[in-house]
Amino acid sequence: MKVAIVVQRYGPAINGGAELHARYVAEHLARHGEVEVLTTCATDYVTWRNELTPGVETINGVQVRRFKVKHERDPLVFSKRSARVFQHRHSLGDELDWLDAEGPTSTALIDYVAKHAANYDYCVFFSYRYYHAYYGARGAGGRAVLVPTAERDASIGLSIFQPLFRSVRAIMYNSPEERAMIHAVSGNEQVPGVVVGIGSDVPNNPQPARFRQKHKIRGPFAVYVGRIDQNKGCAELFEYFRAYLADPAGKLSLILVGNSILPVPDHPRIRHLGFLDDADKFDAMAAADVLIMPSYYESLSMVALEAWALGRPVLANGKCDVLKGQCLRSNAGLYYETLGEFIGTLEAIEQNRWLAGTLGRNGRQFFREQYDWPVIERKYLEMFERLKKEPTARTADPLPGWFDRRRQNLPPAEEVLAALPKGPVGRRA
Amino acid sequence: MPDFNVRSDSVNVEAIMEQIRERIREKRGVDYTEQQIRDLAAVKLEKFLDPKGVRSDLLDQFRKAQPAYEPPELPNFAFEDATLFESHRAPIRWLRKLLLPLLKLLFNPNPLIQALHIQSRLNTMNAEREARREASRRALDQLYYELIHNMVIETTRLGIEVKNLKMRLESVSSRLEFNERRARALESVVVYKAPEREEREERPAPRPQQSHRQSQQPSLSHGSPSRPAPVPMPSAAPPPPAPAPVPAAAATAPPEADASAQGAQAEGPGQRSRRRRRRRGRRGGASATAIMGAPGTAADASQPADASTPLDAADRDDEGGDEGTEFEPAKPAPIESLQRRPAELPPATEPVERVAESAGVIHPPSPPAEAPAAESTHEPPAGSDPDAQ
Repeated sequence: MKVAIVVQRYGPAINGGAELHARYVAEHLARHGEVEVLTTCATDYVTWRNELTPGVETINGVQVRRFKVKHERDPLVFSKRSARVFQHRHSLGDELDWLDAEGPTSTALIDYVAKHAANYDYCVFFSYRYYHAYYGARGAGGRAVLVPTAERDASIGLSIFQPLFRSVRAIMYNSPEERAMIHAVSGNEQVPGVVVGIGSDVPNNPQPARFRQKHKIRGPFAVYVGRIDQNKGCAELFEYFRAYLADPAGKLSLILVGNSILPVPDHPRIRHLGFLDDADKFDAMAAADVLIMPSYYESLSMVALEAWALGRPVLANGKCDVLKGQCLRSNAGLYYETLGEFIGTLEAIEQNRWLAGTLGRNGRQFFREQYDWPVIERKYLEMFERLKKEPTARTADPLPGWFDRRRQNLPPAEEVLAALPKGPVGRRA
Repeated sequence: MPDFNVRSDSVNVEAIMEQIRERIREKRGVDYTEQQIRDLAAVKLEKFLDPKGVRSDLLDQFRKAQPAYEPPELPNFAFEDATLFESHRAPIRWLRKLLLPLLKLLFNPNPLIQALHIQSRLNTMNAEREARREASRRALDQLYYELIHNMVIETTRLGIEVKNLKMRLESVSSRLEFNERRARALESVVVYKAPEREEREERPAPRPQQSHRQSQQPSLSHGSPSRPAPVPMPSAAPPPPAPAPVPAAAATAPPEADASAQGAQAEGPGQRSRRRRRRRGRRGGASATAIMGAPGTAADASQPADASTPLDAADRDDEGGDEGTEFEPAKPAPIESLQRRPAELPPATEPVERVAESAGVIHPPSPPAEAPAAESTHEPPAGSDPDAQ
């Protein structure tokens, strides 16, 4: 079996969610067959600047083939086009222009996929919303398998992606909420799909004491791991945590792990440790009383899964359907939607050791059953086996003609998004 | 292949969240979501408040005060390229058209035409702009009026709330004052007991009726074993009218009580008033005895039935305006316990005072000024106190 993993960026130093997801999947599938990664020379997802050398290299035993990006992203143009397609009535041509502005516009990668798709059994495309996935999946035809990593943002409402969801051979979803959303927006129930998610290489013996000693941390604390960004809900987290600190009964401190693009509040019980390597990160999670996930938009929170793998409870933002659904399905985390709930849930985890311990144990069990690597690998392999047996019936619709592309008949993407069903999917999903 | 299974029966996150929300609701009242808060903020004030009670026509008054807008009749003209050469006479128009090239040889009328045309357009634009400005100003005025209107309503609502709170505060403070007075009265009764014993010992030959009543004191002061068995009496029954309690008490009270009642009836009015004066001179001993529920009195007869009545119940009764009817038996246990002490201790007033002081109340040995007031406020039922007859 030969599989191509097509992803926008790739490398050991690239820690974006979808990119890390792709790397883990590539490295684990490489144990069962031949895997080649097709990606760009970019490392920055904002500019898509070519920073790596094009050509072939091997990373962790996986062959990686890089292609240059034709042009960098112009933030101003991208912003204008985003406003156009998200908020106004627009045409298909506008959406294609938006996709071109978003990037990474690597025509060389697309050409390669179109020419050499027959050399692979399957081409697994990551992140539906990028240029490479849209045009690459069209080029790969019946070999295209999509890992959408879709979040509940406006781009899911763009019309160009609906045929994409319907035309790929299979879709590997990250969560039942993601699957329900894509079904609702594109009506692709007939496309084979399975909720897979992703595993994590969590160490068997993390050293929480070492972390506390190294960073001179005493007392109980909650940890946030990830980019400290407003889009990740960190501003709300800071506001809520300061309110929690106002009550002297609260004993938890907040430890922040990750690069910050948002000012961290100056408070003796809020500490920012910056970016940590994996060992330190896992030690921090193991030492923490609870992991907080304040993000509004997640297709799958790897950090939450890692915390569960380490037996730690999670406090998630209940406005994120995926996180809330994970908490409900796993019985391993609480969630909040208001300040009162944030404080109440945090206090419940802090003060009730039995509850915290039980949530952590449930999380560990949930991770083992659903997100351990053998489970993930098995789901991928079973899907490939299934596709082998099924005939290739679906082909991508050709793009409309020049006049049709300019017909202003598409609704704003935000309207489409607002009409989609909300809420976590039930436990029996 | 099922994607997810439900595990762990020991913890149900949904149930825990519900409990946490319930606790939040108990702690802080309704916990609104952000969306609910936005919705509430967007709703107009009139939905919550009834402006009729304030001045419902305030907005109309504002609107009436503002005169109707009439756009001014600004002079204007229309000026086109052919205006200069127009005429209602066709031949003249034709002649002017014919000679136009000749005119243009002499001077160029186009700048003049253009200037006047522009001026005409400017006039029109100015008029339109003025009309728009006026319209927007009036719309803004409407908003201001509504704002003022809403503020008036809100201020009124706040005023009413403040008034309500003041009334509640007054009510609570009056209740507090009343309770304090009552507590002082009860404490003064405790202080009184020992001097009465002393006085009784000092007096060799008391009146027959008085000696009879005092002869009941030891049985009372030595505790309940000598007391008659409690007779259950329906506490919900309305208090009997003033003359009625005597036979009722006689029916339930021991023979001593009956004799006491008969003795009291045998007294003349002069005797009663003299005795009352004497007792008041000794700081209200009669009501103290009644409050103590001395056997042989009608009050004592009703005591067992109400002995379990908590003080709150007495408070409630007091609030209900039936003051004094349930006052006597209220909270008898502490009184008894304090009352027993003088008998157990040497017959000096000091220990009793110390007991009262240890209870947090410091009072002079003489009766406090509030005591009669308390008695008058919570006068026992007429039938329960022989002195009252």
